[in-house]
Amino acid sequence: MKASIMACVLAAGMVMAIPATAQAYDVSELQVNIWDNNQLAGIQQIADEWSEESGVKVTINVVDWDNYWTLLEAGASGGQMPDVFWMHSNTAQMYMENDLLLNLDDYIAEDDAIDLSNYYEGVVNLYKSNGVQYALPKDHDTIALLYNKALFDKYGVDYPTDDWTWDDLLAAATAITEAGAADGVYGYAINTSNNQDGWYNIIYDYGAQVITDDHKGTTIGSEEGKAAMEKMRQILEVSAPQTTVAETGTDSLFQSGLTAMITQGSWMINNFYKSENSADYAWAMLPYADVNENGSCDEGERYSAYNGLGWAASYQVADPAAAYSLISYLCAEKGQLEQAELGVTMGGMLGVSDAFANAFPGMDVSAFVRAEEEGDLFFRPYTRNTTVWEDALQ
Amino acid sequence: MGKNLSPKERTEAKWGLLFVAPTMIGLLVLNFYPIFNTVYQSFCKTGDFGRGNTFVGFANYQKVFAAAETWQSLWNTIKYALIEVPFGVIIALLLAVLLNKKVAGRSVYRTIFFLPMVCAPAAVAMVWKWLYNTQFGLLNNVFHTSVAWISDPKVAWISIGVIGVWSIIGYNMVLFIGGLQEIPGDYYEAASIDGASGIRQFFNITVPLLSPTTFFIVQTRIIGALTVFDLMFMVMDKTNVALKNVQSIVYLFYQYAFTNGNKGYGATLVMLLLAFIMIVTFILQQAEKRIVYHN
Repeated sequence: MKASIMACVLAAGMVMAIPATAQAYDVSELQVNIWDNNQLAGIQQIADEWSEESGVKVTINVVDWDNYWTLLEAGASGGQMPDVFWMHSNTAQMYMENDLLLNLDDYIAEDDAIDLSNYYEGVVNLYKSNGVQYALPKDHDTIALLYNKALFDKYGVDYPTDDWTWDDLLAAATAITEAGAADGVYGYAINTSNNQDGWYNIIYDYGAQVITDDHKGTTIGSEEGKAAMEKMRQILEVSAPQTTVAETGTDSLFQSGLTAMITQGSWMINNFYKSENSADYAWAMLPYADVNENGSCDEGERYSAYNGLGWAASYQVADPAAAYSLISYLCAEKGQLEQAELGVTMGGMLGVSDAFANAFPGMDVSAFVRAEEEGDLFFRPYTRNTTVWEDALQ
Repeated sequence: MGKNLSPKERTEAKWGLLFVAPTMIGLLVLNFYPIFNTVYQSFCKTGDFGRGNTFVGFANYQKVFAAAETWQSLWNTIKYALIEVPFGVIIALLLAVLLNKKVAGRSVYRTIFFLPMVCAPAAVAMVWKWLYNTQFGLLNNVFHTSVAWISDPKVAWISIGVIGVWSIIGYNMVLFIGGLQEIPGDYYEAASIDGASGIRQFFNITVPLLSPTTFFIVQTRIIGALTVFDLMFMVMDKTNVALKNVQSIVYLFYQYAFTNGNKGYGATLVMLLLAFIMIVTFILQQAEKRIVYHN
């Protein structure tokens, strides 16, 4: 009852507020496309607040990752893109170079709420082409190690700590896989497609780069890269076999208690937080590689990949001002803080990570924040044709 | 239009054209335009988002013919067709003959066998994917085995073929029942009086008189099987180790054209498939004259 009275008051407020707002928009609805169902509720909530201010309804459609890009590309070719949507490092350059995204420069210049120096630099630069900003940073993400305490207890292996090296992970994985053989339990599981959230990280730990800083080459084939791959090979030997991870998926294996450890990105926390056995789950920082063998983690020995999505608009959007207003609302401090507090993702804006770490009562997710404070970050490798070589690497 | 038409015939012709216009326009816009565009694109290095195509002659064809994965995928497609078409036809024929008799609950059985045809292929594939799952799958649980149905390259192509057969027998069966009902009952009566057994009747009456239907089904199913895509796409993960030994030529096309955005190369793969289907169809048409029994 109370809620409905509130709703009436709000609705009445909205009706009265609309004529009062300075900007009346030409459209009554914006179509928004995203690919992550875990984030839908939180983003819809923030968007609804914007709707109350602007009087423009926001309809969010979730399309799964693979089909998202097929659909967006078909839409771009045929002139039928959604109004506002997510951009990703894999494809951003292609879309920007073909002028398929709305140029946000003029809007940002007039917008007091957005100062690009407050955002993660790598994410800002990613969505910039020829000096033009085509998207605002929605979030950033880091990677951590997820483990199942119940399985570690059952097989008498010590929990992962922040001091773990990849050798410690190998040892623990070996112990659990051997002890758990009868139950079909594996110590660790990784799919070849777990790149950003998996094997890319070990390559950087050992001092090689998947894509060099100029985005033109790779040092995977270097001695450092080979050492990393050799360590990964040893780990794979005691991990769930490729046939199993390809069929069932590492997340499902973990959630069914058939693997004790996986590595995952901060965007997936919600998925595990809401799981049946989430009380058993805990996060640690990714292991490091003790390359100089001094027994402690030094600079450059622990890397986590980071990436950030961007909120972009179509170049053909019916009302660019409305589209930008929504993007600005989502990316300005209030929206970013709310996104972090709701546990949707970490912010694209600097300084909201702590709010995110507190968003999951009962689960300590500070490992993701420590990864950027104590370890080093590298940006998810990308070039103009990321999907082509990335699929080939799988 | 001929010159010697009476006014009435003229009006009829106009109306006739008007009535076929929707289909014709649909064919032109949705089928013929894409066909010619595909031919054109196969000679191009295509730009992003369908812009800025540059003509490169036969470069795509050279690459496609030189790639081992092209021929592997074509062979995978043929292997799939070799399972789906013969088994799909023979099982459907046997079912049709059985369900054409007066069996109790015959319409219930017909409905059950036809049901897979009504289900969305994506849903069918998802269900089979979990039936086949090595660890949690019903198949392995029931038979107490641990076969990697869709991850072992030696088994996976058969597993995929089985889904294809399962999906299609209902449809083939309905077509066969239609064909069976056109065979006059007199033949069987006469054969019974002459003392021919049921099996003899099947091979000497049913099979030859049903051959036009059989030929139609075989031909359409061969084309259908050669263009298979959804089963592999839905059932097998991109990282499946058996994928290279199972992926069809259309799957490869999807990979290049849509995932990698290389439309020109994709178009060339489709042209190869088109040429292959044309050859197969030509051979079948030649064979029709000898195999099919016409009254």
